[in-house]
Amino acid sequence: MPECPYRDPFKEARRKSPVLETEFDGEPVAMLVGHKAVRTAARDHATFSSDAPFRVPIPREEDVRTVRQYPLEVDPPVHAEYRRLIDPFFRRPLEPAYVQRIENLIEELLVDALKRDSIEIVRQFAIPLQSRALTYLLNMPESEAEIWITWGTHVFRDESGVSKGAEMEAYTNSLFDQAESDPGDDFFSALVKARFDGRPLTREEMQGYANIAFAGGRDTIINSVATAFGLLADQPSALIAMRANPKLIITASEELFRFASPVTHLARICPVDTSVHGVDVPAGNLVSLNWAAANFDDSVFDDPEQFQIDRKPNPHIAFGKGVHNCPGAAHARVIIRGLFKKLTEMISAITIVSERRKVEKEADYERVNAYHELTVKLESSASSPDCK
Amino acid sequence: MAKVTFVTTDGTEVSISDANGSLMEIATANGVDEIEGACGGVCACCTCHVKIRPEWLGKVGKAEEAEQDMLDEEDGTDERSRLGCQVELTDDLDGLVVDVVPL
Ligand code: HEM
Ligand code: FES
Repeated sequence: MPECPYRDPFKEARRKSPVLETEFDGEPVAMLVGHKAVRTAARDHATFSSDAPFRVPIPREEDVRTVRQYPLEVDPPVHAEYRRLIDPFFRRPLEPAYVQRIENLIEELLVDALKRDSIEIVRQFAIPLQSRALTYLLNMPESEAEIWITWGTHVFRDESGVSKGAEMEAYTNSLFDQAESDPGDDFFSALVKARFDGRPLTREEMQGYANIAFAGGRDTIINSVATAFGLLADQPSALIAMRANPKLIITASEELFRFASPVTHLARICPVDTSVHGVDVPAGNLVSLNWAAANFDDSVFDDPEQFQIDRKPNPHIAFGKGVHNCPGAAHARVIIRGLFKKLTEMISAITIVSERRKVEKEADYERVNAYHELTVKLESSASSPDCK
Repeated sequence: MAKVTFVTTDGTEVSISDANGSLMEIATANGVDEIEGACGGVCACCTCHVKIRPEWLGKVGKAEEAEQDMLDEEDGTDERSRLGCQVELTDDLDGLVVDVVPL
């Protein structure tokens, strides 16, 4: 089967300049599209600030949530204290038992998938995997995932057009009520018990942490998982190579994060008038850090539009860069490595039955990012059918 | 096969004999504190930062471009800094001593 290269929508723009002048929500945005330009800006919080509630995501999110997200939407020095409070949870994926638990979950989902003629990966595989895995990260009962599964691919902007933002805020608020009356060892109880510079967190801050844990940790994982299936179906040689050499699972996972770049871009606000590579950005206006564009910069990556599972070095910035770099990366890595591992062990072929790509249609570009729907047939690598 | 010693921030020395692979792989396989190797060795995370003892700098050699770019953007790096995942422990490096940099 021909290996279909992805088309990087920022290629032309990046050849001309590291910054693309575009617009979102009817406002000008200076979008950084070169690897070096994005990296450097991500570390310069004085010039490019995250102290901008609702505005770090693009489009802006006043319409879908009522709380500032922590630690995303604050700058150093307070950022470090906000971040410290949640780090122990985000380090849980480094424990071997956690890795095992994720692998068992993936195996269970694949066993179930193999019983069907075909499976719709987004809703029948990726969403349950993401939601159940998140209960491990947040140390919640696995049964809670049943509620989270009903929120769709993106809590705020599912394709149905209905935002689950208000429902989610009411739900997390009730979790904090419960944690206050009967604290346990979960993420929500930890926030209730936490001390920020000696004081308890306000309920609004707690809600801000919960908000990004659910919203930020959701479509990113779902899109990575669906893209992994799509790529392996298009490029069967990749699955075969990983099976022959399991060391490739690690490099292939990093390549997946680069190639999928599930978070296209995020914003920073300029507190004062700033010249950004020759583009004038007035105080209060936005600069976009385009991680996806940076990850296809051919001054850093050879043949960036090819998915090369043995790519090394691979200094992608799919998880951001600098102090805000993604704390969920360890969890995401355990999931994707576990998925590749179990696919090599259990599946001999993935064939696409039907697909509907998700396209980000913006003023100056269209970017294909993952799938609304991806139905595949999976073939078991066990030579004879299971005869239990 | 060679011997390498990691000196962690509290002064603990962890020596591993008959080691091979990259410094990151050796450190993570032997539970050396503060070397995480999050990205598995592709220059995408900087959680394997070490400082080479001056007497070994010549033999270990300099970082390639992708690695140097990462180091240039990390806090607390200097001319002794390398990413552990990019340094293979060869026989010439038998006896190497490196300082671990906190995460
Ligand atoms: C493949 C999966 C993921 C990708 C590609 C991704 C991407 C990113 C990026 C690019 C940032 C940087 C934000 C910035 O610089 O403004 C970030 C931050 C963050 N991510 Fe992720 N993420 C993923 C998974 C997760 C998961 C599973 C969680 C939690 C459950 C999570 C929670 C967060 C949080 C809390 C921050 C803010 C960190 C801070 O500001 O210090 N992410 N993520
Ligand atoms: S292990 Fe990630 S950069 Fe070395």
